[in-house]
Amino acid sequence: MTVQDKKTAADTATRADALGIAGLGLAIGSGEDAVPLLDGVTVRVGRGETVGLVGESGSGKSLTARSALGMFPRGARATGSVTVGGVDVLAAGRAALRDLRRTRASMIFQDPRAAINPVRRVGDYLTEGLRARGVPSREAAATALDLLEQVGIRDPRGALRRHPHEFSGGMLQRVVIAGALSTGPELLLADEPTTALDVTTQAEVIGLLKGMQRTRGTGMLFVTHDLDLAAAICDRVYVMYAGRIVEEAAGTALFSAPAHPYTKALLEASPSVHGDRTEIRAIRGRPRSLAEAPSGCAFRDRCPLADDDCAVAVPAVRAHGTSAVACVRPEEVTR
Amino acid sequence: MTSEPVLAVSSLVKRFGDVTAVDGVGFELMPGASLGIVGESGSGKTTTARILAGLDAPTSGTVLLDGEPVTGRSRRARLRRARLLQMIFQDPYGSFDPRQSIAASIAEPMRLHLPGTAADRRARVAELLDQVGLSERAGASLPRDLSGGQRQRAAIARALGIRPRVLVLDEAVAALDVSIQAQILTLLDGLRRDTGIAYVFVSHDLAVVRHITDTAVVMRHGRIVERGDTERILREPRHPYTRLLLDSIPVPGWDLDRVARDRRALDPSS
Repeated sequence: MTVQDKKTAADTATRADALGIAGLGLAIGSGEDAVPLLDGVTVRVGRGETVGLVGESGSGKSLTARSALGMFPRGARATGSVTVGGVDVLAAGRAALRDLRRTRASMIFQDPRAAINPVRRVGDYLTEGLRARGVPSREAAATALDLLEQVGIRDPRGALRRHPHEFSGGMLQRVVIAGALSTGPELLLADEPTTALDVTTQAEVIGLLKGMQRTRGTGMLFVTHDLDLAAAICDRVYVMYAGRIVEEAAGTALFSAPAHPYTKALLEASPSVHGDRTEIRAIRGRPRSLAEAPSGCAFRDRCPLADDDCAVAVPAVRAHGTSAVACVRPEEVTR
Repeated sequence: MTSEPVLAVSSLVKRFGDVTAVDGVGFELMPGASLGIVGESGSGKTTTARILAGLDAPTSGTVLLDGEPVTGRSRRARLRRARLLQMIFQDPYGSFDPRQSIAASIAEPMRLHLPGTAADRRARVAELLDQVGLSERAGASLPRDLSGGQRQRAAIARALGIRPRVLVLDEAVAALDVSIQAQILTLLDGLRRDTGIAYVFVSHDLAVVRHITDTAVVMRHGRIVERGDTERILREPRHPYTRLLLDSIPVPGWDLDRVARDRRALDPSS
């Protein structure tokens, strides 16, 4: 990429969303034997916005998040479009992808110990990305120190010289967050970043993540199985089921007015500590992946409202209340 | 029988070297009751559960099962304990023989503990599979062919086979998807109602504990910091740590500053 190209890309990026995924389809293999993974996934993350991606196992939420970095399963074919800050991810070559991952988008994972090289010092981990961008080593070290202070590591100067095993899980996740934000990305992809942490540690790390994101204007895609967590911290939430988006709603609306039968069923299946003690209602069957889902609406074999017309075609997304929902009869859900 | 606790634990202490993992824990469990042990990592909740099941020996303290102390590692003592108390783990995959069918695994404890012929056991296994909602086909499968939820059902069936009085569940639904977790919780509710078995439900998840227990103890650093009716603990927490736990649960309009205040109230030094 030439300097000229970079400049134009940067110009369009300031106008574009942090992440735009439109009609993303993903399949392994081709023809009759193709295994579909994602179908028509559309996700938008504005600048500085926190967007949740919620679903159970096999819903495709992690695959969707990874697509923003151009990371696809081996042998998978992607259709549709994925843009990060104006950069076309699906069309990007190796160099452009590397540049994207280095400067525009960062990802944090569930297990910080798997994301960080155990034999290298924390200081090396934090300066690596900066050095790769050509930041002088002294300046990179100063930035790393500053970042560790911001994420609330005690004795940040000493921490730079320590190894990952000398940190607890919560502290190490803070280090990983510092590393992810070190390059000033426009987009942060957080894949279950607090699932492995204790609840009180989770609250701390979320507070930190939200604070850092707010001051820097980073867009965040927050992938989680935890509906309560998504609703508590996200501006908007997408609910995924079997490789498709079934509902998009404002974080707060998700609880008060779920529009998709699946969202409603998830809420009724989750025990809560708030309000009166209510019976939980189990959803029959088990979560499906796209490849094993029934034709038409993928949720219809578990849905209490399903009817013959649910089998005809995959329901189109339509507006209902404050949600966008892929269901043929959302009015019966909210009733 | 109704007034005697089926499980009584007092002054339980477990030290690993210099570390005291469990520090003076005591509680009672009545027949058919359900007690929650709530805590985070390092609270000592899992060590307590392991001591109950005889997987770890306490440094000091007593465990009474059905009024009699359980001590020693003799075959007789282990059999008596297992006959009365069974344990369910977070991931039952590791506790099934990978080469044995689910039905054979479920029959195993019965062979060890109960008189009866192979035909009796087969009939009982069929009854148990039905009770936990598994098909005959699932019973004939190997553990690796079942989903996480089905394996947890199988583990419950195996534990119930010898009709124990107490089931110790250590994070038994923590690894399951929400929709599957609800199925297992509903199953556990029904089983307790139908069989009068008592639960010790160990979990970090207050919402799940609220659903499945009547009373609870909150553990921190090996000690019980609060105990009482589960509903009372959730509505009027008395210990600052319980308050911190409660405020740490995400909710719309989540107040993270309040969580930070709770933390300062708990450890004024930090």
